[in-house]
Amino acid sequence: MSVDEVVCREFAELATEYLDGAMPDETLELVEEHLAMCDWCRDYLGQIETSARVVADAPQTAPPAPALEALVGAFRAHTTEDGPP
Amino acid sequence: MERTSPSGGMSVDARVEGRDATLLAALRAGDEAAFAALVTRYHASLKRVARAYVSTDAVAEEVVQDTWMAAIRGLDRFEQRATIKTWLFRILTNQAKSRGMRERRTVPFASLAGADGEEPSVAPDRFQRDGDTWPGHWAIPPRPWQDPERRLASLEAREHLRAAIAALPPTQQAVLTLRDVEGLESEEVCGLLDLSAGNQRVILHRARARVRADLERYFEETA
Repeated sequence: MSVDEVVCREFAELATEYLDGAMPDETLELVEEHLAMCDWCRDYLGQIETSARVVADAPQTAPPAPALEALVGAFRAHTTEDGPP
Repeated sequence: MERTSPSGGMSVDARVEGRDATLLAALRAGDEAAFAALVTRYHASLKRVARAYVSTDAVAEEVVQDTWMAAIRGLDRFEQRATIKTWLFRILTNQAKSRGMRERRTVPFASLAGADGEEPSVAPDRFQRDGDTWPGHWAIPPRPWQDPERRLASLEAREHLRAAIAALPPTQQAVLTLRDVEGLESEEVCGLLDLSAGNQRVILHRARARVRADLERYFEETA
């Protein structure tokens, strides 16, 4: 990294460290200076945040039916064997 | 339970704890529907994390199955020192690690090189080069996304997102799943995957950067 400024190409690698609040103070200062004057990097940062948020909405693959049935069977066997009456 | 938040209101932790306590009571009472819902809820995430340790989808599926068997056996002994979610992922990573060792696979997170490579987060030709007016600054900047949440609401768009996650290298899928899909804290993820905070963040960032690039293409194609 250059000594006295962060350029866009460098910020592109630092966005998650910035969002995690895990930056050393000196870097943080340079990053905030850069973000204050770079609309494009603020857009990029917003897109990284959006990406991190929307992945939770991706459809989840369900377990295969036979596997689920087998597990529920095992659960039943266990709880009737030593669980409450 | 003596834990209350200092503000007097319910903290997120306290809410999760309450929900966990209810679920745990149902499971211990033999509530099969609650168990089936739990298995369904965590299946995809557990499998993605398992896949970082073992060589095939089929083996990952077995690891998940073994995880639930171990969870059933451990249910009576589970004390709410961790959340149910963290407990499940802890069992999973233990199962996956020993399975991976039996397969004689190398530890997946031991080095950042290999499958993940050293690729930049953004294609190098998107930036100005040395000799240009502003070296290292955007040459082709990101175009702002209009209302991304709305555009990702359709099933087709969400399927696209799922494919984008599935296309990530397994280690990136594991970290992204734990941090961004399941919302675990950085420290918890480092503990589960035996990763340093720095390495965990580099892997997470590469994953997010790939998803971002994928969404950028998708939004441009469907604009």
